[in-house]
Amino acid sequence: MTGEVLSRRRFLQLTTATGGAVVLSTALGAPRARAADRLRVYVLVVDGTRPDEVTPQLMPRLHRLRTEGTWYAQARSLPVMETIPNHVMMMTGVRPDRSGVPANSVYDRAEATVRDLDRPSDLRFPTLIERLNATGRTTGTVLSKEYLYGIFGERATHRWEPFPVLPVTGHAPDVATTNALLAMVDHADPDLVFVNLGDTDRVGHSDLTGTSLRVARTLALRSTDLQVGRFVDHLRATGRWASSVLLVLADHSMDWSLPTGVVSVSAVLRGRPDLHSSVQIAQNGGADLLYWTGPADRRAAGLAEVRRLVRAHPGVLSVHAPRELRLGPEAGDLVVYCRAGWRFSDPEVLSNPIPGNHGHPATEPIPFLVAGGHPLVRRGAVSGAPARTIDVAPTVGALFGLGAPRGGYDGVARKEAFQARR
Amino acid sequence: MNQVVNAPDAQLTRRRALQLAAATGTGLAAVAAAGPAAATPKHPSSPVFRHGVASGDPLPGSVLLWTRVTPSEAAAPGSGAGPDAEVSWEVAADAGFRRVVRRGVARTGRGRDHTVKVDAGGLSPATTYWYRFRCRGATSPVGRTRTAPAPGAAVPRLRMAVLSCANLQAGWFSAYRHLAARTDLDVVLHLGDYLYEYGPDEYQAGDVLVRPHDPPRETVTLADYRRRHAQYKTDPDLQALHAAAPWVVTWDDHESANDAWSGGAENHTEGAEGAWRARRAAAQQAYAEWMPVRYEPGGQLYRRLRFGRLASLSMLDLRTYRDQQASSPVDPALAAPDRTITGPDQLQFLLDGLGDPQVQWKLVGNPVMISPVRFPNGLESRTVESIATLLDLPAPPVAGVPYNVDQWDGYPAERGTVLAHLRDRAIKDTVFLTGDIHSGWACELPSDPATYPLTRDSLGVELVCTSVTSDNLDDILGTRPRTTSLAVETAIKVNNPHVKYLDFDSHGFSVLELTEAGAQMDWFVLTDRTDPRAAAVWSTSWRVAAGTNRVTRAQGRLR
Repeated sequence: MTGEVLSRRRFLQLTTATGGAVVLSTALGAPRARAADRLRVYVLVVDGTRPDEVTPQLMPRLHRLRTEGTWYAQARSLPVMETIPNHVMMMTGVRPDRSGVPANSVYDRAEATVRDLDRPSDLRFPTLIERLNATGRTTGTVLSKEYLYGIFGERATHRWEPFPVLPVTGHAPDVATTNALLAMVDHADPDLVFVNLGDTDRVGHSDLTGTSLRVARTLALRSTDLQVGRFVDHLRATGRWASSVLLVLADHSMDWSLPTGVVSVSAVLRGRPDLHSSVQIAQNGGADLLYWTGPADRRAAGLAEVRRLVRAHPGVLSVHAPRELRLGPEAGDLVVYCRAGWRFSDPEVLSNPIPGNHGHPATEPIPFLVAGGHPLVRRGAVSGAPARTIDVAPTVGALFGLGAPRGGYDGVARKEAFQARR
Repeated sequence: MNQVVNAPDAQLTRRRALQLAAATGTGLAAVAAAGPAAATPKHPSSPVFRHGVASGDPLPGSVLLWTRVTPSEAAAPGSGAGPDAEVSWEVAADAGFRRVVRRGVARTGRGRDHTVKVDAGGLSPATTYWYRFRCRGATSPVGRTRTAPAPGAAVPRLRMAVLSCANLQAGWFSAYRHLAARTDLDVVLHLGDYLYEYGPDEYQAGDVLVRPHDPPRETVTLADYRRRHAQYKTDPDLQALHAAAPWVVTWDDHESANDAWSGGAENHTEGAEGAWRARRAAAQQAYAEWMPVRYEPGGQLYRRLRFGRLASLSMLDLRTYRDQQASSPVDPALAAPDRTITGPDQLQFLLDGLGDPQVQWKLVGNPVMISPVRFPNGLESRTVESIATLLDLPAPPVAGVPYNVDQWDGYPAERGTVLAHLRDRAIKDTVFLTGDIHSGWACELPSDPATYPLTRDSLGVELVCTSVTSDNLDDILGTRPRTTSLAVETAIKVNNPHVKYLDFDSHGFSVLELTEAGAQMDWFVLTDRTDPRAAAVWSTSWRVAAGTNRVTRAQGRLR
């Protein structure tokens, strides 16, 4: 990296090796000058990747990490299987009923609108990032999606705001994200960096061949894999590999549906105007969150009727009270899952035209591996332990010797991936 | 490099072993040729304990112990006569019984055909024990058993034998003998057709009656079924394997009658052979008495065992509750959405087990195949007739229809429910372990048959062990093993691309190993089912990497 320009007080513009520009923001008074061989942890989220896509053919670099480190064959995402809540679970170690972040999209009763949970104030639980900062360590976030940058805000010591952001997808391409990651590592070298690579998810959503050939998706997987490989090579080339631990996982996977496999709860309720006018819907692809907004004295009976009508749809898998899924009041009154090969589209049947979706149980399996050159990393292991996104914070916290947050973690430290400390 | 190891007294010739090894197509044959258990009994049979000892259904803190006593000659099996007897039992932590950890006394008598079934509790998880019985001054042979791991415990490895279809009239139980010689088995899984109901003139080794059944007639009454169980339990190879490890068993049809269903059976003539409900009740009572299983008459056989967090094993009963088989693969009744092979309660039991997030491998002890199999094109009529004989069904009139409607193929709506459950919840590591069909298979369960050739998206796998002795395709065709059948196997695999391995000819057994990283099944085949000294040859091995729901050929056999 060359060319430090602008202010060192808050923004830092770096020119990358490929000639591009990366702008990082940094908290004032961030500590510098630490031991070169200290532990570094990188949490890389390959957004929306399915575990069966981590193959030598599709993702050779990820597959190599998988075979060199510890692979969790039973890893799964947690409800709701969406990007924002699972990134929050990774960094807090607690379920949405404690963090306040149950889904990407919720109905905000105070604002009487459906919106993304993309504000720093939406996240109510202390993150690993802040807790590490409090110990004098430094952290970084390199998150390709605008709403992720939004909710994690300025919690990290060093932040990259996604750029350039593609229209429609709202994310920066993986090559730009990786450029930023390399720049941050070279310049600031945080103890923990939290990274989201969004291409496989964004391309997967729109892949019209998703139910069969997955042409676009395949190209995206190969491209993302190149970027992961680029980062690993960079760690090796800069002498950081031997002190690095990589957690590579997805936040959820992906399921594709045909245009015939659409569930519109709004359409289901249209035949009952009394119910239709009393329910707000936050659509999350494979999950709908339903909020009763009608008369309070009709709430119990009305929701029971909604549940019955929705459950009868052939594309609906199940209907839950949010507490069954450890979701808090932000998730509303009912959570509806679709079956594999289906998607929700609300409020209109054409509101969700994209074939690739997640949020429903079919999209729970995720890749989850621990690799890196650090001597603690266990080599060549496959674990059947039920690793979850929520286990990231306890695992990383344990590596740094950080205790549990107030009230404890809901996840567990994944000790299977590490040798006993000598 | 071929590896052939023969015991000096084995009658297996080196040439025959090599022929079989070559025929199985493995290029590598490891041959075990342990002599018949009868030739070298470890524990000479006591007149009181002439039916051996057994254990079964291991739990973390207990295991069932079984034996049968003959306190006097009047107490012959099925006689309904003989005195009551007091039988003491003890469980020890060592083979020499220096550290006895549990003991007790049970009473038995003619009401339960002098069988004894004890639930020995207070044991430690994942621990090997030895047990024995005493009655009227006689001491039984010693059995070895092992408890299941504690709930939630990490289990580095679980190994089990997988068996089905042991027709005494069709051959010797060499498969049991070879398994009894192993010391690495945690469990023996028997998927049904543990015995056959036929009389001596009905079902044997092709034209050869190797050993006649007792009683010398088709079993119909309680006394018949008891005698048939007793005859099988006098087989030294069977006794040896029962004494070597705990068994987990379910029945298929022949424990009662061929192609049984809830209201009858193909091999039952209502009226002439009494009422089906009475005949089935007799068969089930004898089964409860004579098998080391947590089942009592009137109860339910389907149940689930757990092995720490590594595996659960859901044992199914696919005969008691099922609707009658369709008359043919083109019977319109097949399409009925409410046709059941499990019954509603057992279906929910199965779905609950598959959805258990606390265990990795969801094993299903599944008496009949669940993989869809379509009948292929291009087979000549004699082969088609032979397959129909193997399946015990009418020859399919056209290609492309389900080839066996006695299997889950005959209950497509209910299979659809099971597969949808796996698909909708993205359940991984489900393994159906299956018998019944006298052939070895390794299959994937396509998520969508239409797109499977492109995506290879699979919802689980099915591994099918072959028969211990019962006829398979080359026996019915009267051709040499691995000749005529190869074309049939190829045709089926081409028409059913999710079928990765198929051996229509061999008899033998399988061994399954589970670890967190994967499951592997080894298939072993017998050199000659009619030879009491037959060797067992490793044939092939297939592996399921954890989390993949796919089968691939393994590099080698388990070590």
